Amino acid sequence: MRAARTIQQTPRRPLLWVCAAITAALLLHAVEVPAWVTIAALALVGWRVAGLFDAAPLPGGIVRIALGLALVAAVLVRFQTLNGLVPGTAMLMLMAAVKLLETRSRRDQYVVIGGALFLLMAACLYGQELPWVPLYGAEALLCCSALAVVAYTPEANMGASPAPAGLRTREAVALAGRTLLYAIPLAILLFLFFPRLPGHFWALTGADDAVTGLGDTLTPGGITHLTTSYAVAFRARFDGGRLPPPAQRYWRGPVLHDFDGATWTAGGYARGTAELECLSTPYHYRIFLQPSFRRWWLALDTVTSSPGAGVLYTSDEQLIASQPVTQSVSYGAISCADARSPAPLTLAARREDTRLPTGSNPRTRAFAVQLRRLAGSDAAFVQAALAFLRTGGFTYSLTPPPLGPDPIDDFLFHTRSGFCGHYASAFVDIMRAGGVPARVVTGYLGGERNPYDGTLTVRQSDAHAWAEVWLGGRGWTRVDPTAAVAPERLYRGILDLLPGAVSVPERLVHAWPWLAAALARWEVLDGWWNERVVGFDHGSQLRLLRDLGFHSPELRDAGWAFAFALLAWLTWISWQLGKTAEGARSADRLARAYTRLCRKIARAGLPRAAHQGPLAYAQAVARHRPELTASVRPLLEQYADLRFGPTAGSANDGQLRTFERAVSRLSLRRPR
Amino acid sequence: MAALAKLRARLRQRAAQWARRRQGPDELPLTLARRRLYILPTRAGMAFGALVLTMLVAGFNYGNSLTLLLAFLLAGFALVAMHECHRNLLGLSLLEAAAPPLFAGSCGTLRLTLGNAGSRLSRYRVETAVAEEAAVAHDLPAGGRGQIELPLRAGRRGLQRIERLRVSSAHPFGLFRVWTWIHAPLTVIVYPRPAGSLPLPADSGTRAGSWPRGTGGADEWFGLRPFRDGDSPRQVAWKAYAREAPLLVKEYSSAGSPLRLLSLQAAGQPDLESRLAQLARWIVDAEAAGELYGLELPEERIPAHRGPDHRHRCLSALALHGSAR
Repeated sequence: MRAARTIQQTPRRPLLWVCAAITAALLLHAVEVPAWVTIAALALVGWRVAGLFDAAPLPGGIVRIALGLALVAAVLVRFQTLNGLVPGTAMLMLMAAVKLLETRSRRDQYVVIGGALFLLMAACLYGQELPWVPLYGAEALLCCSALAVVAYTPEANMGASPAPAGLRTREAVALAGRTLLYAIPLAILLFLFFPRLPGHFWALTGADDAVTGLGDTLTPGGITHLTTSYAVAFRARFDGGRLPPPAQRYWRGPVLHDFDGATWTAGGYARGTAELECLSTPYHYRIFLQPSFRRWWLALDTVTSSPGAGVLYTSDEQLIASQPVTQSVSYGAISCADARSPAPLTLAARREDTRLPTGSNPRTRAFAVQLRRLAGSDAAFVQAALAFLRTGGFTYSLTPPPLGPDPIDDFLFHTRSGFCGHYASAFVDIMRAGGVPARVVTGYLGGERNPYDGTLTVRQSDAHAWAEVWLGGRGWTRVDPTAAVAPERLYRGILDLLPGAVSVPERLVHAWPWLAAALARWEVLDGWWNERVVGFDHGSQLRLLRDLGFHSPELRDAGWAFAFALLAWLTWISWQLGKTAEGARSADRLARAYTRLCRKIARAGLPRAAHQGPLAYAQAVARHRPELTASVRPLLEQYADLRFGPTAGSANDGQLRTFERAVSRLSLRRPR
Repeated sequence: MAALAKLRARLRQRAAQWARRRQGPDELPLTLARRRLYILPTRAGMAFGALVLTMLVAGFNYGNSLTLLLAFLLAGFALVAMHECHRNLLGLSLLEAAAPPLFAGSCGTLRLTLGNAGSRLSRYRVETAVAEEAAVAHDLPAGGRGQIELPLRAGRRGLQRIERLRVSSAHPFGLFRVWTWIHAPLTVIVYPRPAGSLPLPADSGTRAGSWPRGTGGADEWFGLRPFRDGDSPRQVAWKAYAREAPLLVKEYSSAGSPLRLLSLQAAGQPDLESRLAQLARWIVDAEAAGELYGLELPEERIPAHRGPDHRHRCLSALALHGSAR
């Protein structure tokens, strides 16, 4: 009975706003948490709403506690931990929803809105991609509007006052929206100038093991899923707009040495001792890498040095970071399209890169040994193998038939249909069987010039695999066996080669140029977002300060800039908001001048009483401050004349301006 | 918990005293200027601050720009909310404050008139309260004014001073509370509570000091009183109304009504307060019966008369009896 009455008294509107805010926050996480978490949380919200409309009884305290414990247990069972972004988020979602069940007072409503804001933060932590940003903004607006509605509605027990009508939806959204708009300049200033520190405060838990992009293994046939993705892998901006020609747009990723007969794996790599001799003008460029959740930093083949601390430059010219790329990252790099390794191959390296599992692919091995014998030299052997692929009736296909237990034998002498992964591994297998050191390199081939900003966009569908062979006197030399089979792959993406292999949206993009153009524009924006906003860090801040004129900026300078920006914004906001509150600016110029005049006299110690007109005021001045009369009286009389005299209302601009100027010139001494 | 509440109450008391010393006495009408508005975060505001701080730490730790941007946006939001809260009272004026007299122990109202003239800003949820009592919230449209009635609890008889009024608001988002104390010279006359069961003293006839009785049966002109609903238009003093006086009604005394002279001696009660209570009872009853009555106190003699003004005069004399005027 008692409980029922309390529910009745809970005002509906604020609670509905709170429900909306938390629902939106829950939906922001629908993608990454298990579906049952979202469904359970939404069901609890639905329960609360039903209770609000007396459609369902709300649970009592014991039921709520049991429910909460059960949900905690469910999350624990599913994730084995509460530590980490996704388990923590799932936990927060469920607890906020349970809290909503017992929400009646204003305090509880504030708590749930706080939960919604916290979930919004978790969503930001999870993904900072540009398409999400408007949704995040809408959720922030929703939470703030809910805050306004909750704060406006009186508590149920404040029965003494006649309850005013609640804040209307439009008013609430306008209020919250205006407040957020005023806050945006500060947010930007703080973002730019709040002193950033390099590095983390404490170690982060391991990144979630979502896999996109290149794998660190290659099983012929295993790369199919990649090639159908149109997502951007990275973008590259070349200094001076000097782009490598399409046939040289090989982007180096994981290098694979170990082969077990079916799968290539990375094997060991060593810290960079590789010395490269550049035979052409090196390319200077900057890469904007999308999160790949892998440790490889892609670079144009062949990169000559590590782009930064914490990134290993290996002896086989890979760039391997100490942490997986979970945020988009940008780095500058230098690459030589045409390079030579002057040092001879070490014995250990030669042994590693000619090793084949005993007994595997026997037919290929016999074939290779014979081919090598006929060729006479390593270089001729390479050409002979390529000629075999070119003339052997091989076809390029993204949907090759499955391969048997000796996959290379099966591919070379039976199916003869495959894509880059098949050709690269078959070729390297032939080379090794013939005694020539060879390795598989995976990465990307291609890059489309964005017409709007001149950068190269490399997509997941450009993923590629090729071979490198050691030729005496030249060192490691890139050989792309796929190019022997499908030479056009060098110049055109997979999408053009095999339109049937890709999904509908990507085909549409390729069929309609305007869609492609819109996409190109979007990618410029997205690139800007990732480079300038997501990628803004300690280094970017120092660069910005340098551009602003600080010589050799440091943390302290950022502090100064921060303090200055904060002060400037506070001054602006205080002026901006204060001007409408105190004595609004009247539209009437004469009234404004009169107000100014009265204020001056008031400051001299004699404020105008509300009932005094200008002439009565003049008399009061004459009585109490006779020394001011001489300067004040004519002005007050002039005002009375302009306002009420025979020419009132038709006073011309000149008269008005004379009066205004006289008021401005007036200066009165304060009373002692 | 109770100790904490006590501490809070004491702190509030100290702050109010400090503000009293700082601001000095006030006079109505009064416009709320910047230097008398105080603002502090509410508990919700402090929780919000903690939330933003957490976001900031998380953003820095994960090197996550969007989280930082969100934290900065919400920090800015709170700062703007603070300014909006502050300006919700800035420039507001308290035009009048008055409380009709009331009987000891009863509940009355304090009427306040808030003015929002000369401002383009609507004011929302302006909460007014007597000292630290429960507040009443009110919205004021731009350029308008609002009447607010605050509950007022009468103490003992006498002149009750209202030490201070509290005007506050947590308007836009409840994250901050802006407030001011107003120390206007506000007093309420508290009549003694009518009590006692002695019958009214007998008609004192034509005793000295009493109202001269009219001769004959004709009604005699008695006085003017404010117009009340239901009064006959024929009794309205139209001539006075033409002179821009408020609407008044002419009253005539009926020759037959008794005349009572009330005094402390007549109210035969053991102690002074009870006697005053008895006198108050008599006055209320006599007025209700439409009789003429006068009051005799050691320091004041009020000749017999009737009507609301007379009643007020008599009851006030009782209220202030014995206190230094």
